[in-house]
Amino acid sequence: MSLLSRLKRAGNEDGARVRIRRRKALAALLWKRLRFIRVTLLLVGLIWMLAIPLPMLSQGTYIDENALQPAQVNTYWDWADVHRADRYLDQVEEWVQHNISSIERADMLVTEFQKLGIPAATQLYAYTNGDKVVQGANVYAVFSSPRASGDEAMVISASWLSRAGEGDGTLNRRGVSTVLALAAFLKNYSLWAKDIIFVLSDGYMEGMHAWLSTYHGSVQSNLRADPLVLSSGVIWTALNIDYPGHSFSHIGLFLEGLNGRLPNQDLVNSCQIISRYTGGIPVLLYDQFHHSEFPNKDVLDLPFWLPEFVKRNKEFKEFSYRAKNVLRHVGYQGRGMASGVHGLFHQFRIDAITLYGEPAPGPHGFHAMGRVVESSLRTTNNLLERLHASFFFYIMTSPYTFLKIGKYLPSAVLISVSMLFGGISEWIGAGWRVKKAEGGNGKSNTATSEVKWARQPRPLLHALCIVLYTHAFGFVVFLALTGTPVLNPVIMLFLFTLCLTSPIPVLCSLTSFARRDELPAINRVLKSINLCIASTVISVTSVLNFSLAATTAVLLGIPLTLASSSPLLPVRTVMYLLYVFLAFGWMVWLPGEMQRALWSWEILGVWFAPFVCLVYAPLALQGGLACLLPM
Amino acid sequence: MNWKDSQLSFPLLVVCRLLLAVTPFIDSLDLDHNHQLSSPTNSFVRLQEGLFLFKHDIDPYSGGSFYHSPLYLSLFTTILPTSRFLSRLVWTLIDALGAWALVGIWRERQNLRSSSRDTLIAAAYLLNPYILLPNLALSTTSFENTLQLLSLLYACRGRASPALFLASILLHLSLHSVLLLPPLILLLLSSPHSHLSNPKYFTAYRNSKGSLSNTLSCIGEFLIYSVILTLCCTMVADSSGWIEKTWGVGLTLPDLTPNPGLWWYFFTEMFDHFRSFFLMVFSVHLVMYVAPICMKFQHDPLFASFALLGVLGMFKPYLTLADPGLFLSMHSIFPEIFPYLYHPLPTSLLHLHAALLLPLFHSLWLTQGTGNANFFYASTLVFGMANGAALVDAIWAGLRIAIGGKEAEDEGEIAVVQE
Repeated sequence: MSLLSRLKRAGNEDGARVRIRRRKALAALLWKRLRFIRVTLLLVGLIWMLAIPLPMLSQGTYIDENALQPAQVNTYWDWADVHRADRYLDQVEEWVQHNISSIERADMLVTEFQKLGIPAATQLYAYTNGDKVVQGANVYAVFSSPRASGDEAMVISASWLSRAGEGDGTLNRRGVSTVLALAAFLKNYSLWAKDIIFVLSDGYMEGMHAWLSTYHGSVQSNLRADPLVLSSGVIWTALNIDYPGHSFSHIGLFLEGLNGRLPNQDLVNSCQIISRYTGGIPVLLYDQFHHSEFPNKDVLDLPFWLPEFVKRNKEFKEFSYRAKNVLRHVGYQGRGMASGVHGLFHQFRIDAITLYGEPAPGPHGFHAMGRVVESSLRTTNNLLERLHASFFFYIMTSPYTFLKIGKYLPSAVLISVSMLFGGISEWIGAGWRVKKAEGGNGKSNTATSEVKWARQPRPLLHALCIVLYTHAFGFVVFLALTGTPVLNPVIMLFLFTLCLTSPIPVLCSLTSFARRDELPAINRVLKSINLCIASTVISVTSVLNFSLAATTAVLLGIPLTLASSSPLLPVRTVMYLLYVFLAFGWMVWLPGEMQRALWSWEILGVWFAPFVCLVYAPLALQGGLACLLPM
Repeated sequence: MNWKDSQLSFPLLVVCRLLLAVTPFIDSLDLDHNHQLSSPTNSFVRLQEGLFLFKHDIDPYSGGSFYHSPLYLSLFTTILPTSRFLSRLVWTLIDALGAWALVGIWRERQNLRSSSRDTLIAAAYLLNPYILLPNLALSTTSFENTLQLLSLLYACRGRASPALFLASILLHLSLHSVLLLPPLILLLLSSPHSHLSNPKYFTAYRNSKGSLSNTLSCIGEFLIYSVILTLCCTMVADSSGWIEKTWGVGLTLPDLTPNPGLWWYFFTEMFDHFRSFFLMVFSVHLVMYVAPICMKFQHDPLFASFALLGVLGMFKPYLTLADPGLFLSMHSIFPEIFPYLYHPLPTSLLHLHAALLLPLFHSLWLTQGTGNANFFYASTLVFGMANGAALVDAIWAGLRIAIGGKEAEDEGEIAVVQE
């Protein structure tokens, strides 16, 4: 009965009128408060980003996959194996002293593997980048699983150059010796359910990249690599051993892979637990020491101008320790750079990390490293299925704490939502103009609260053409950068000037419209499209590569929101110049960074350089154009 | 010479599409296996498998991988080529035919020989990425879309036999197209012109043929064509096993390969003993829209077909991007509703997000391996929301236009109080 009466009431006209009135009031309220909502969202997003290192947001790490059982096995690696590793090290030192070529070295390594009875082979490769050719020889050996058919495999690798100094020539002597000694040791045990592939790659990144590309059959035009003669199954996990010093004090975990990929967190946590409990080695995230370990040393590198009481504050120290880790992570992930050789594996669905022996006078050496690797292999050997998909999105704030995706993702999304609201409000605003009051007393009438509004058409197609033009311009810049063989400062300055003059075609084509009122409020429509695209880019990228999305949001969020035209030409020009610096300033200020990004794109296929040229810079340029175009 | 002249621009567009189709770059993208561009019922790879079996005298319907109609088998073993290169050309020409039909529908609707809008409409069909990409992936949805448009075109012209014959072919290619039959018959009995702004009962707009006996004869003609084609199909396939593997598939959903639609994930998660119940619910749900939409838009059956295509583009099993693509491209022949759209910007933003998220989450799940099926399903939900927003807005505008008043509003007659 009551339902019937309610239906009747909802059907009559009064109900509908009330509903419509309520809806209109809500819309009016939202519209009135829109500016406030936008600013709030933007600020909350930015503050949230600053708060990411706060300990209260992080949680302790745990093992999600029960099959892993880290640090639950007895290890058999003992001092005889350490002795063997020392003898291998002697050989490696001898090769280094005689300065033998990488091909000779590869042959010697193959002989060593064959002496152990493990099939091994070399792979020669050559990269051509412009007129430079990088050559090298990889060595790999496949120890077939005694327990299974060899459909699955694990990799233990060491590159010839250590990640210390990012491949500047520091040799990974003890890493290579460890792998050789491990080969001799691991083949004595029959408990391996997966093939074990030992890879000793040449160079820093390039050798392993050539090996992995060939293994997975991916073709790259500028890489010539020998086919692999030995084969194995699907690689599931990889451990990269980096042990450049004489001894080490801590094991540093390096996670980030190409294009912002991360390994499954279970692997990281397993190695962390194994290092601590089986190896007895303290663990670092990267090579960042915790301040409590060295109370008398300034391991955090705090800025000198901070007052002493702040520097001594325990909470602040903890915050800055975590902030340093997060910034390091953002630096690697945002630029799509791998933090070590392990990073090349991720693109082929292989979970991999680098175990880095932090160089120190002591106390640990081959004994500890061998045990950690043995136990980690036993753990990954247990895997029956892929590690769980929910554990790929995280930010490590320390080796023992991390942020779940829900704790950091909203910060970027909030900024993007704020920009989206901005875009929508600009779109609405561009469709209306104040109607000129009749009788010529327009000025005096504006003070009254009632303003007549009239619709005006939005020049959507013209604005879209400008947007397309800026992206095409970014593409041309990208082609110019990749096509130029030598990027010296003179060429860069020339290119930058070219970027400065990029809006000339737009201005020319717009002035060809004789009457101004043919294109009313084009800058507002342009700004609206710009904000909407930027917001979409940020929110979509945030799932793929949070660091990149967050950096874009910080760099573009406030500037694009503030972009607006002014009646004065000098003001407009200055604003425009600022935006061009935001868009293309890296050409002048960060030439080294740009060279590295271009190298990563050409050789490793990292998307950072194209993203900056094709997406980021055009978006900032559109903001500049929205300022430059007359109101 | 004016580039807007459709005499010149239409061939130009087709040439562009042909050039795009033969670019070797397209082959390197490996679009054929992309789940968003072709589903089990229309993928080229499965069609080739079925043709191979058929040519080797093995019943393609005895296995569980071939769900195309026997009509395709007979077409591709006789007239049409099966090599990839030639197929790309055929598919592009099929799309060109679809675009021509869409332009024809527009001309019929406006009662014009040609108009300045023709180029725009052809471009809206030929350059729509949702239609273009499945076409490059050689999905047979391109055939279905073109047949749909052709049958609508003949219905607009009032030629019952070709329209019903094409509709009955379409029925064999895709079972759900039968839902379009009621508006098609209404269209045959009335006129294709726009009566959206002046809604009246159907009787007000029906033409000389609009009588009950004519309706029945149309239905009868459709049934006769369908039965004849069914017999042909049985002859081609040599048994009636094809019925279960073509029509049955749309109702029983045996293949749960992911697609951008809303069915597959739901039924992967379903307990088996609820399966048949929910299959019924999902299928009946689609039928539910036909009568209300046909009644509400009885004054403009072409618009009713447009709205129903929107429904199918959202809720169809084995959806590909081409289904909502057809709905979006058909917007171009209803320019009168544009001023009355309530939220065009949010709709386009939703579509922008969905278009970026779908391939992204697909690759996170199946290429990179860092996501799982839930990721892709979430993006298909965004896509569903985008399609839903477009559909609701189109229907809203189609009804709102009858009240009018937009011109007065535009002229500033309605004052906005601002503080």
